[in-house]
Amino acid sequence: MKTKWNHLKGYVRVEIIGQDSSSFINTCIQSGISLWDIQPLDDNRALVSISVSDIQRARSILKENKLKIRIKEKKGTPFLLKRMWKRNGFILGMLSFICLLFLLSNMIWNINVTGANPKTEYELRKAAVELGVIKGKFIFLLPNVREIQRDLTEKMDNVTWIGVTQHGTSYRFEVVEKEIPEAKQVTGPRHLVATKEAVIHSVFVEKGQPIVGVNDYVKKGSLLVSGLIGKEKKPQLVSAKGEIWGEVWYQTEVEVPLNTSFQTYTGKSKNRHYVSLFGLNVPVYGFSEGEFKDKTETLNESPLYLAKWKMPFSYIKKEIRETDGVKRSYSKAEAIEVGKKMAKKELSKKLPHDAKINGEKVWQQNVSNGKVKLTMLYQVIENIASAQPIPIQQGE
Amino acid sequence: MGKLRQQVNKWMMQNLELPADVVMDLPRITMIGQLHIYIENHRGVKAFSNEQLTLKLKQGVLHIKGSEFVIKTILPEEILLEGTISSVDFENE
Repeated sequence: MKTKWNHLKGYVRVEIIGQDSSSFINTCIQSGISLWDIQPLDDNRALVSISVSDIQRARSILKENKLKIRIKEKKGTPFLLKRMWKRNGFILGMLSFICLLFLLSNMIWNINVTGANPKTEYELRKAAVELGVIKGKFIFLLPNVREIQRDLTEKMDNVTWIGVTQHGTSYRFEVVEKEIPEAKQVTGPRHLVATKEAVIHSVFVEKGQPIVGVNDYVKKGSLLVSGLIGKEKKPQLVSAKGEIWGEVWYQTEVEVPLNTSFQTYTGKSKNRHYVSLFGLNVPVYGFSEGEFKDKTETLNESPLYLAKWKMPFSYIKKEIRETDGVKRSYSKAEAIEVGKKMAKKELSKKLPHDAKINGEKVWQQNVSNGKVKLTMLYQVIENIASAQPIPIQQGE
Repeated sequence: MGKLRQQVNKWMMQNLELPADVVMDLPRITMIGQLHIYIENHRGVKAFSNEQLTLKLKQGVLHIKGSEFVIKTILPEEILLEGTISSVDFENE
């Protein structure tokens, strides 16, 4: 241990020339100068190690004893550094190479977009640039992949989903585009048939032969407007067109808990910054926990890379946000009211835009386990007509 | 006076089971084969060469003979010698 320390401070191997080196050793030891590795060479020469800090004091003792000194070797870290500094260009080059490699391996080099048509790709690249995903940017300055994915998906509205993955220095965007079917103008001969079980409410036919009348009950798939018009013997094929409004019953079930507790953010937050070294998180900035009664913590880790290897250190941002518990309780009547609204909302999600809710009815309601369970029936008027092409028989 | 003190010390060593090197200020010598010799409680180096090390003790001197001697460490009261040790002799003056 002691020799290690001496090595760190630096020491010299000196040759002591002259008779009576033992008295020199004694004086040195008495005055607190430490010597080691004393090796006699011949009668009047000895090789001794002395630490650098003691050499001046040793010199004066040598003078008193009329001995000569000759430095043979300089050992230890300070001398090693000195020698290395002579080749500083080499070391600086090595360091700058590592720095450069480090910086370059934390840069974006490539952005790939797959699954998008050129227009969407252009828009996506533009949106990505706005978020800062540009070639040559440092990866650790960017939000993480999840956030990029969320922001991009929010920004692009003609896209169903964007998958963002990071492979080393390249980002890959996988795009699933929304397929917006173009309304095809059916020109071929067709019938109109019912899409669901209904009672006909009103009939409006532009083209074709209506088969059903108001208040008729139709099943799913039954013919509403025929594409065959004209005389029975010599029918003519047309593309039937029209709107058949039917009364359809829908059943919806909803459950409303009487007591619910929510968590809301109060808006107060604290950020803490860490540098993670070999899995140990060292706080760098932001030392208070915020002293919040209720809080949620989110960790955001951005690892650093050297070439393809993940470095054992990374930057971690910890966000502590104060939360507040809110309790909501309904009376039974209120719960039913809310349930009705919820059911209606749910139903209108399922219905086409032009459908109209005509009436509603509570079919069943019961309270159990602190929940109100409602079964609602809705009378909806909607267009039930759908086109069904008539197969053309060849050769007739 | 000195004689009495020495006798008291000897008595203490024998009856109180105190280690002799502490009570009587004697050198404690530890040897590892022929390779190392470790001497505590010496009073300085008298002579040192490749083949011989002479140490002053409280009473008398200690001659260590051998070859290829190197003093690995030396402190005011301790010394560690390396080499091939062939003999250790006490000489009372």
